[in-house]
Amino acid sequence: MIGYVALVTAIFPSIHGSPEFKQLAENYPEVLKSFFGIGAGGDITTGAGYIDIELFSLMLPLLVLVMAVGSGARAFAGEEDAGRLELVVAYPVRRRDAVLAKGAAVAAEVLAVSAVAGLALLVLDPIAGLDLRAGRLLGAIVSLAVLGLLFGWLALAVGAAFGSRALAIGLPAALGAGGYLVNGLHGLAAWLDPFRLLSPFWLVGSSPLQSGVDGLGLVAVLALGLVVLGAGSLLVERRDLETP
Amino acid sequence: MGEGPPILTVRLSKTYGKTVHALVGLDLRVEPGEVFGYLGPNGAGKSTTIRLLLGLIRPSGGTATLFGLDSWRQAVEAHRRVGYLPGDLRLSDRLTGEEQLESLARLRGGVDERLRAALCVRLGVVLDRPIRQLSKGNRQKLGIVQAFMHRPALVVLDEPTSGLDPLLQSEVRALIRETASDGRSVFLSSHSLDEVQHVADRVGIIRSGSLADVDSVESLRERSLRPVTITFADAADPEPFAAVAGVRVVGVDGAILRLAAPEPAMDALVKAAAARTVVDFVSQPADLEEIFLELYREPDGGD
Repeated sequence: MIGYVALVTAIFPSIHGSPEFKQLAENYPEVLKSFFGIGAGGDITTGAGYIDIELFSLMLPLLVLVMAVGSGARAFAGEEDAGRLELVVAYPVRRRDAVLAKGAAVAAEVLAVSAVAGLALLVLDPIAGLDLRAGRLLGAIVSLAVLGLLFGWLALAVGAAFGSRALAIGLPAALGAGGYLVNGLHGLAAWLDPFRLLSPFWLVGSSPLQSGVDGLGLVAVLALGLVVLGAGSLLVERRDLETP
Repeated sequence: MGEGPPILTVRLSKTYGKTVHALVGLDLRVEPGEVFGYLGPNGAGKSTTIRLLLGLIRPSGGTATLFGLDSWRQAVEAHRRVGYLPGDLRLSDRLTGEEQLESLARLRGGVDERLRAALCVRLGVVLDRPIRQLSKGNRQKLGIVQAFMHRPALVVLDEPTSGLDPLLQSEVRALIRETASDGRSVFLSSHSLDEVQHVADRVGIIRSGSLADVDSVESLRERSLRPVTITFADAADPEPFAAVAGVRVVGVDGAILRLAAPEPAMDALVKAAAARTVVDFVSQPADLEEIFLELYREPDGGD
């Protein structure tokens, strides 16, 4: 991830302030522009716009979500599949507490990865002349982490509630892809527009470095993540543990 | 030792879907200070019973209580007093033995360090290597230590000596006997009569999800038929052997005579054989299938 961030950042000086590149980006198909936030206030030739488009519009959320969902699915359903829960659940530990402890572990991983992305950008900023605003960068990293928490906890909760690792990966992946598509396309298709409210990507704000993040949206997404985690920790108490 | 017996099940049942009856109406009671052997072929419902006792799965009918605590609804309270060795033990491959035991001890809120260390020494546990590098036997030893390390009032062991060499098997049996003489109880599940018969006070036999019989080990051994093969110098005559009480003639093949005989008939068998020239006399431990056949032959044989 650091490598990717460094690579993307290294290219920036050749794009910085180039009117040709701005022209090129604005001639992209509407769908692409909508996905990556080009046009509508987004300018690829500024540091903030460039990083928004190149990193925060797809690659960083994708990396963090893949990591978070993998970690969440592994934490309970994966352990159960491997037969390692059999022993621990026979210890004097409430299942819900076990799920919440795993939730904390997933959160620690998500926060660490997000922080690494933030630190990488912080270090590369002066080198590549991105000229990012520190507050905006912090907001962008927080929104990245909050998205990771939601999907990581969803994977954990689905795994805990249903004991299926496939479902624990599949459901968050499907919802993540759906939410991403809605956020990217709602401006182009009027019928999709109302559904933007259901997309966590839209809720946190999609051009965090240029337009800032939506504080209320962040809180809402984080709250949703906590509710999902709580539901998973209650549902796990009611079901049979699977035999490996 | 508490409010109720270490194990009490009443009409305990588990059904998967609508048709798979993994366990049907199990009534079982294990007393303090008792080693209870739970015997049955693979797939008979042994693991289902254990998983119900430990609250890993929810009963479809009936109840299971440990020390009077409901094994599903009061699982956490019950687990404080229970040590468990799963039949298919899986540990955290990346941890060393020491780290694994330490992490499990923390889940119990700490255990007596000296007892844990003594158990490790006694079984020769490898503590400093990552678990993924350990043999099945060495992993099993870790499993046994964690089941006993908090001095539980009830130990539930699923095939505890699998993968252990004979010396360690007898060490584990000694451990089980000491636990019982301490007034604590052991529930010992196995598919092999051999693993159970030297340590258990009573044995329950399960087949196809229901309890076929509960009996003391002695009477089970007396009743169970051992395969006996006698080879004579010349053609075998089954007549004098068939007359011995409890003996069944399985087959005659030239000079070789095959019998199924209970332990109390052995003396009469040997004496009957001695009337002729004997080339070989083999008596094997009774196997479970023989015991089952015997149980079904006299369905009201148990108490």
